[in-house]
Amino acid sequence: MSEGARAQRMKVEDLLQRTTWDVDPRPHITVDADKCARCPTKPCVLLCPAGCYTEVEGSVVFSYEGCLECGTCRVICPMGAVTWNYPVSGRGVQYRTS
Amino acid sequence: MVVVGAGPAGAAAALEAAKAGVKVLMIERGRGAGSKQVYGGKIYSYYLQKVLGDLKDAPVERWVRKERLSLVDGSNRCTTIEYEGRDSGAFTAYLTKFTAWLVDRAVSAGAVFADEVRVDSILRNREGTSGVEAGGERVEADVVIDAEGVNRLLLERLGLAERTSTRSVALGVKETIRIGENEVEERFGLDHGEGLSWILMGGFTGGLPGGAFVYTNKDTVSLGLVLYLDSAVRSIDEPVHSMVEGLRTHELLWRYWADGDVVEYSAKLTPESGYRYVPSKLATDGLMVVGDAGGLLLNLGYTFRGVDYAVYSGHLAGRAAAASRDRRRPSEEVLRELYEEPLRRSRPFRDLERLRGVERVMEAGDRYFSTYPALAAAAMDGIFNLEEATPSVYESLRSAMRKSDVSMLRAMLDALGTVRAI
Repeated sequence: MSEGARAQRMKVEDLLQRTTWDVDPRPHITVDADKCARCPTKPCVLLCPAGCYTEVEGSVVFSYEGCLECGTCRVICPMGAVTWNYPVSGRGVQYRTS
Repeated sequence: MVVVGAGPAGAAAALEAAKAGVKVLMIERGRGAGSKQVYGGKIYSYYLQKVLGDLKDAPVERWVRKERLSLVDGSNRCTTIEYEGRDSGAFTAYLTKFTAWLVDRAVSAGAVFADEVRVDSILRNREGTSGVEAGGERVEADVVIDAEGVNRLLLERLGLAERTSTRSVALGVKETIRIGENEVEERFGLDHGEGLSWILMGGFTGGLPGGAFVYTNKDTVSLGLVLYLDSAVRSIDEPVHSMVEGLRTHELLWRYWADGDVVEYSAKLTPESGYRYVPSKLATDGLMVVGDAGGLLLNLGYTFRGVDYAVYSGHLAGRAAAASRDRRRPSEEVLRELYEEPLRRSRPFRDLERLRGVERVMEAGDRYFSTYPALAAAAMDGIFNLEEATPSVYESLRSAMRKSDVSMLRAMLDALGTVRAI
């Protein structure tokens, strides 16, 4: 076992490469930009396990493509800015070994 | 009968009702059976055997023979209890595959499985539940079983469940790493087919209440974290995915899956303390709630029972649907008597009510997640890392306590409170 294996670090984007999706072109989650902009704490940025919420120059940028459909953002959003649903037609994340 | 969601609870309900000759339609949003399933990694077999018979053809990965419980302090000192039993009452499995197996059984019994269809609402009118709306279609049914899972979009829309709050759920995040069958057995000291279940507290969640888990599958390892959202939302200071990264590369752990290949990354919310998440009604006219949607998950910090409770509740609901099949739209009274009351009288439910271990642990705050792991490590260090003096176990514990910020009395009260609660 090499030290190399231990040091193996993966960015969340690389990690997400290992999971399979069939992304729906229509987003299943939408974020109200006005409400989101007024949020003082932005817990989604750290708590979304898929890193779907990133902070760019003080505002949150959302992308639904890598969503793991856990529902965390729906529960934690302090502004009620997240409209959350599951993807339709079997789209979204496709788990195999979870 | 319509079952919303073909997870373990929904599939068990469909199986039981179909066996009795009820016309059953399972509606599943995922593609194929099991594709949206995530859990920790271990299933207790007692209720499954009771309800499903023997598990010979079930997709078991490994029967758990080795149980580990570790407390890890801030300097990665690790105190572990390991138990190797003679019998095994639990197995590891991929819930994706296990659920597909259960759905297949329901289909063999005559249930119809419709996948890639999202249910958008449960239809209710003055006479009660009349069916569901799914994919733009209205589907009529005398009985609807809500097995939608922890995110109760449908029940919330009906006003039958409160909006989920950070106080009532925890976030679980997991990686599956392939290392090979021999490697699993060599690295964890397991015989062929035997499995390990390992719960770790402290050190992995950045000081936040939560814990880590490791389960062995045939040729992979499932590892992950659980974070209680209420504290996480206030105090988290690094991304969850980097905590998982920290777990995978942790100096105490990385050897176990060195050179392995991460094959999947997944996440799920779980009812934090089941009882608190149980809706006020588990049955109303024409509608029964089962599994995670019913808050039927027991979490004691070292024991998690969700899948077996899901199957058991689904089984009871399926049986109730079969018993009320001659009634068009069975009333709340009938379904209470046939489903909710037997469920509330059952051992799983009484255990949910009785054991509020995690709530107690949460009240003690970070003492469980940082102070006690450090205390245990200091006491162990005193016993094993000898220099001039040779302290007794008691002396070592006393000295560790004097150095920590917790009093003997506080520790004893916590220990008593926890022991009583769990």
